[in-house]
Amino acid sequence: MITASNLSVSLSGKPIVHGVSLVAKPGEVTAIVGPNGSGKTTTLKAIAGELASKGDISLNGHDIRTLEPWQLATKRAVLPQAATIAFPFTVREIVRLGLTVGPNRHAERIDAVTAEALAAVDLAGFAGRLYQELSGGEQQRVQLARVLSQIWEPVLDGEPCFLLLDEPVSALDIRHQLTIMQLARRYCEGGGGVIAVMHDLNLTAMFADHMVMMKDGRIERSGAPAEVMTDDAMEAVFGCRMRINGVPSGGVPFVLPHTASA
Amino acid sequence: MSLNDAVRAPSARGSFLMRAGTARATGDRTAIARLTLVVLIVLSIVALALSIATGASDASAVGVIGALLGGAEDTALSLRDRIIVFDIRMPRALLGFLIGAALAMSGAVMQGLFRNPLADPGLVGISSGSALGAVLMIVLGGALPAGLMLTLGPYALPVAAFVGGLLTTLMLYRIATRGGQTSVATMLLAGIAIAALAGAVTGILIYMADDKQLRDITFWGLGSLSGMTWTKLFAAGPIILAALLVVPFLSRGLNAITLGEAAAFHMGVKVQRLKYIAIVAVAGAVGASVAVSGGIGFVGIVVPHLLRIVIGPDHRYLLPASALLGGVLLLGADMLARIIVAPAELPIGIITALAGAPFFLWVLLRDRTRNGW
Repeated sequence: MITASNLSVSLSGKPIVHGVSLVAKPGEVTAIVGPNGSGKTTTLKAIAGELASKGDISLNGHDIRTLEPWQLATKRAVLPQAATIAFPFTVREIVRLGLTVGPNRHAERIDAVTAEALAAVDLAGFAGRLYQELSGGEQQRVQLARVLSQIWEPVLDGEPCFLLLDEPVSALDIRHQLTIMQLARRYCEGGGGVIAVMHDLNLTAMFADHMVMMKDGRIERSGAPAEVMTDDAMEAVFGCRMRINGVPSGGVPFVLPHTASA
Repeated sequence: MSLNDAVRAPSARGSFLMRAGTARATGDRTAIARLTLVVLIVLSIVALALSIATGASDASAVGVIGALLGGAEDTALSLRDRIIVFDIRMPRALLGFLIGAALAMSGAVMQGLFRNPLADPGLVGISSGSALGAVLMIVLGGALPAGLMLTLGPYALPVAAFVGGLLTTLMLYRIATRGGQTSVATMLLAGIAIAALAGAVTGILIYMADDKQLRDITFWGLGSLSGMTWTKLFAAGPIILAALLVVPFLSRGLNAITLGEAAAFHMGVKVQRLKYIAIVAVAGAVGASVAVSGGIGFVGIVVPHLLRIVIGPDHRYLLPASALLGGVLLLGADMLARIIVAPAELPIGIITALAGAPFFLWVLLRDRTRNGW
C-alpha cells in the first residue's frame, strides 16, 4: 500500500502541491486526473521519492525517505512522461537496464523477463531495433517494458509492488491504449498496485478502481469513477460544462467532448 | 590452399556474419563486446612490446631481455642498450599506455555522466584546469612550507594537477546542470570560458616565473611522452591505476543515467554518490596524466565514439574497452611521433590533434542532422 498524507511540494520556491492525501491499495488501479498544471505529475514524482516534499509518504508501511534507492527500486518502478536517451541503445539493452536491481538481475532471468516484458507491451520482435529509430508510441512502450521488468513480479517477498505511470498511454493508438490499460489491470489482479496519471477520462472510468481528481495542487474529489465523474465535478475541475453519461451495461460513466458548452 | 581450406573459409566467414546478424535481430551485443575486449587485450600486449622494441636507437629489446632471461653474462649486452630499454623505453611505454587509457576512459565517463557524446576532458576545460594546477605548483610551490613539499615529493605536480582538474570539473558541472539535466551548449561554452580563464591565469604565472621555472613549464607543456622516468611512473601511475580500477564499478549506474538522473534514481542508483565518484576519478586520471605528459587531446572523444559504433554504449564493456584502445592508440601515436622525424621526435599532442580534430569534425557533421545542431 502507498500512503501519502498531507503532502506538499514546492518547486524552486513555488508551492505546487498543497496538503494532498491519497491511498493506493494493492489490487487497484488508482488514477490521478485533472487539468494541465494541476500538480498530478508533481504528486507522482513526490510519491516516487524523486522530489523533496513535506508530509508523510509510506510504501508498504515504510517511510520512503528512510529507504535506500535500491530498496525503493525493488518495490516500485516509475514511467516518466518523456524520456530521451543520449546513446544508441537497442530496445533489448534499454529493457535490460530495468533489470539492474531486484531479483530479476540474475543472469538466467534477464533474457526471459526481457522477452516477456517486450511481448507484454506488444513489441515482440523489436529487441534488435535501435531505440532512437522507433516512433514516439513505440518508445513509450519500450520504456513501459523497462519499468515493468524492474518489478516483474507483482508481489515480492509477500509485499505488493507498485507501478507509477505518468501518462502511460498519451502517445499510443487506441489498440495499444487498451493493451497497456489491460496490462495495468492484470498487474493489479496479480496482487500489485498501479498509480497512473491520466488524461483520457473514458479510459480512466473503464479501468480505474479509484479516481483522484486534482485542481490547483489540491484534491477536489476522490472515489470510484462513477462517484467522482459528475457534471458538476467536470465543470468545477476542468472548467467546462459537460454531460456525463453511462454505458447501458454496468453504468461505467463516459463523457463526450460534443456535450461541452463553455 | 587445400580443398578443405577452400570449403572452410567461406563457412567461417558466414558464421561470423550470422553472429552479427543474430546481434542485429536480438539486440544483444554482448558477444561482440567480449570478442572486442579479447582483441584489444592482445593488441595492448603487442603495442607495449612494439613500443619497448622500437626507437631511434638500434638497441634491441629482444636481445636485452633475452640475455637477461638467459642468465648468461652476454658481453654483447652493453650497458647503453640496457639503459635504453629499461630506463627509457619501458617507463615510457607503460606510462604512455596508462595515460592513453586514463584519457579515453575519462572521456567515456564524462560522456556518460553528462549524457552527451561530445563531452571530453580536453574540450570542456578540465585539462586546462589541471594544467593551471600544475603550473601553479611549479611557480608557487617554492612558497609552500618545506615540510609539505618534502612529504609530497614527486607527487606534488600530479596532486596539484588533480586538484585543478577536480575544481574545474565541479565548477563545470554546477554551471551546466540544472534540475538533473545537463545543457550541452552551456557545458561547451562554460568549458571554453573556463579554459580561457585557466589559460590567462597560467599566462600570468608564466610571466611571473623565473628562468628555471620557465624551463620546467616549457618542457612540461610540450605534450610529450619523452622524458618519462620510473619516478614519474611511480608518481602518476598509482593515481591513474586507482581511477582505472574504480570506474568499472560505475558502469551500471552510468548505464542507468543514460535515461536521465531521475530514471536512474527510480532504478535504484545512488545518483549523487555516483556523480561524485565519477568526477573525482576523472579529475584524478586526467590530472595525473596532464601532470606528466602535458596536454594530449582528442583521445577521450575519439576512442569511446569508435567503440560505441562497434559494441554499443553499454558501459560495462565500453569503459574497459576504451581504456585498452586508448592505451593502444596513444602508444601507436607515440611510435609515429618517434619514427617520423627520427632521431628527433614530434610532440605527441600534435599527432593526436592532427588525427583527432578531423575525426571530431566528422562526428559533428554526421550527427548534425540527427541532433538538429
